[in-house]
Amino acid sequence: MQPALTVSIEKSVAARPRKRFPLSFLLAGIAILGAVLYLVYANTQANAVYYMTVPELKHCTTCTTQSVRVAGYVQAGSIKRDDRTQSISFVIEDSHQTLAVIYSGVVPDIFRAGVQVVVEGHYIGKGPFQAQTLLAKCPSKFQSASLK
Amino acid sequence: MTKSALAPENVGTQFIASVSQFIACGVGTRFITSVCKNGTTVYFSDLGSIALILALGFALYTVVIAVLGAVRAQPQLVISAKRSLLVVTFFLLLASAALVVSFLTHDFGVNYVAQTSSRAMPWYFTTAAFYGGQQGSLLYWALILSLFSAIFVLTSRRTPVALVPYVIATLMGIETFFLIVLTSVSNPFVRSAVAPPDGAGLNPLLMDPGMLIHPPMLLMGYVSFSLPFAFVVAAMITGKLNNEWLRAIRRWTLAAWTIQTTGLILGAWWAYHVLGWGGYWSWDPVENAALLPWLTATAFLHSTMVQERRGMLKVWNLFLPIATFALSIFGTFEVRSGVISSVHSFAYSNIGAYFLTFLAIVIAFSSALFLFRLPKVRPDQEFDSILSREGIFLLNNLLLTGIAFATLWGTLFPLISAFMRGQTMTVGAPFYDNVMGPLLVVLILAMGIGPLLAWRRTSLTALWRNLSVPIVIAALCAVILPLLGVIDIAANIGFTVCAFTAVAMLYELWRGMRVRHAHGEAYAIALVMLFKRYRQRYGGYVVHLGLVLLVVGMIGSHYFQLQRDAVLNQGQDTQLAGYRLTYLGNIDTKEPDKETITAQLQIWHDGQLQGYIYPGRVIYRNYGNQPASLISITTFGATDLYIYLENWSGLSQADIHVFVNPLVPFVWYGALLMIIGGVFCWWPERRRVVLPHPQGRDKSGPYISRNKLPEYIESKA
Repeated sequence: MQPALTVSIEKSVAARPRKRFPLSFLLAGIAILGAVLYLVYANTQANAVYYMTVPELKHCTTCTTQSVRVAGYVQAGSIKRDDRTQSISFVIEDSHQTLAVIYSGVVPDIFRAGVQVVVEGHYIGKGPFQAQTLLAKCPSKFQSASLK
Repeated sequence: MTKSALAPENVGTQFIASVSQFIACGVGTRFITSVCKNGTTVYFSDLGSIALILALGFALYTVVIAVLGAVRAQPQLVISAKRSLLVVTFFLLLASAALVVSFLTHDFGVNYVAQTSSRAMPWYFTTAAFYGGQQGSLLYWALILSLFSAIFVLTSRRTPVALVPYVIATLMGIETFFLIVLTSVSNPFVRSAVAPPDGAGLNPLLMDPGMLIHPPMLLMGYVSFSLPFAFVVAAMITGKLNNEWLRAIRRWTLAAWTIQTTGLILGAWWAYHVLGWGGYWSWDPVENAALLPWLTATAFLHSTMVQERRGMLKVWNLFLPIATFALSIFGTFEVRSGVISSVHSFAYSNIGAYFLTFLAIVIAFSSALFLFRLPKVRPDQEFDSILSREGIFLLNNLLLTGIAFATLWGTLFPLISAFMRGQTMTVGAPFYDNVMGPLLVVLILAMGIGPLLAWRRTSLTALWRNLSVPIVIAALCAVILPLLGVIDIAANIGFTVCAFTAVAMLYELWRGMRVRHAHGEAYAIALVMLFKRYRQRYGGYVVHLGLVLLVVGMIGSHYFQLQRDAVLNQGQDTQLAGYRLTYLGNIDTKEPDKETITAQLQIWHDGQLQGYIYPGRVIYRNYGNQPASLISITTFGATDLYIYLENWSGLSQADIHVFVNPLVPFVWYGALLMIIGGVFCWWPERRRVVLPHPQGRDKSGPYISRNKLPEYIESKA
């Protein structure tokens, strides 16, 4: 690669003494970077949610006060709709442990028995899991969902 | 076809044999296959397999011969590299054609065809299934890369000669990686012994016109970032970072940026119109993966201007395209490997490991080059004042990379937390909303002030002269908004900053027109001339106005969305935000491959019947347990009435979810403006002004590029 290594345009410049980077730029840069880091840090603290498996949730001690996400497969025959309270209840299963879930809100199109879902909400240690959000694993844009 | 038959030494004979078989037997017998007298059958997919292997061979040859040509300074070798690159393109076109033919002839013996298509699908979705799965999307990637490379070779006359072989070698190096994956772990042409009678078909969620155009656009966006990367590699090897290089890389980045913008917007559009949750962006890892390279590419487009005008930020300009390319490879790795849980589930496979290895090679290789070149890159000039165009560009770059960092952090947080605390944690939409909100507001503000600042330094009095009108109008806006019902402080700040920037840009445009008008041009002609003369600048303003419009839409839908659920029996109605919906009943349509149920509703507003709306569900024969939604959206002015059919029973009960989404149409208008502006900036320009000095550089003044010259002369006059 030797012949191509001429750095012609840089030569004249390299001789000139380097000035100091202006202080105003330094301060502005630090301010922006500080703001970005602060925003990221503070919001991570405020919004991080534990992502647990069903067995982990059963042993969780802080989940009564904290929001938590749990993933699992919807058990066959467990989906019940309650038209009066506008909610649905179902059971999710993971590693041979089950968890009852109650949810009211928009149910995704692909929600059905056997599909993998992620629920986010509170768990008071007993009774059903109160889900505020329900996400169903959606088929990718690139792969048919019927393939397992 | 057996593995041994694909061994390199057999490929040539195999290829010739199959081609001669095609010729000898004729393709006529059953259209897809030709059965010879001796009983062997040759399929189009075999032709595809062979074409891929030959493409791999030629790609490897191109890399070697291009580098040799550059090192030994032998132009004949470079010419050979160019030709062999075109051969790679030819073989990839052949392979892609073979796959398309396999799809259109329903050759279900090809596993990939059986997995992603079925006989019932219309021809356009069958063709689109080409990139509907992993193997096909990788082939599509390789094809697009080869096409872009061919375009580069065919237009390389304008590129500095020293750069060309290295750009070619880098592009074909990337191509080699994809071809290795395609011929080994992820071959779309693998056949099964027994062909199933029908294929599995495409998921109904993907049976949408958006599917025809969104994935190919987004993948093309990812691919197109290879070109700026190749230019950077070439520049680092040769040390030629001059303005010719800058112009070439900038044009390719503009093209890539516009394609990626289009892909992102189409994705948002598809999510909004198909998925039924009332929004268009959910900060899912897969979406973030596509946004990351877009952010760094946007930063690059701005920082190149600083290098072009002032000869600064050279090192930074080498770093950004590398980061952009690495992020596009990272995105592919992330979504394919399953290391991060996403609502998009993919068929996980070991190809994630291939991509991680490739990413590691890319990063190691470019870091080494970077460190090698770093000591030799010096800025031509120094920063003078923060109150200058270059100062605001630096701010813009910090903000955009800051946003990219925050997005990457949020996306990787499950891994980071598992590593740091041994506990997997995730951050959701609130994290991104709270971090991006303030940064976006500052970015929009900088966008309004930036064009008013001069290069080097600007006096405060000059700045105030240009800023007073936008500030006054923005202040008025801040006062009026609460009276119109915008009580939320954050929303008010957002709208006010958007108003400020929009007015600042329109005011700047107006002043440009006024100057030309003073020289005797009619206002309309002055406007056209401004756009014609200073394409980059005014194209950029169009993009900026588009972004402002898009942000207005984002604020509207984020702060003012209303929704409600309703179970309706025939004749009942429900109300939301002044819209009354009267339910009339369900319509059930049965077709051979699907059944469609639509609820019929009347929309009443201001005591007037505004029209009918038909949210529904489609049940496909192959996917009976997953009814796809037909979302119904009616737009009134700038407000979307968005209705989703959640459930139904018989023909006289429907369970609907109604969203009122204010200002969402602005998101689409704004996005359209951004794309138009991007194309406008990219569009080739006839060079009219020829400078006496070839470099256009005089020792005392700033460098003036050829297309900026008239502007410069005018500013001096």
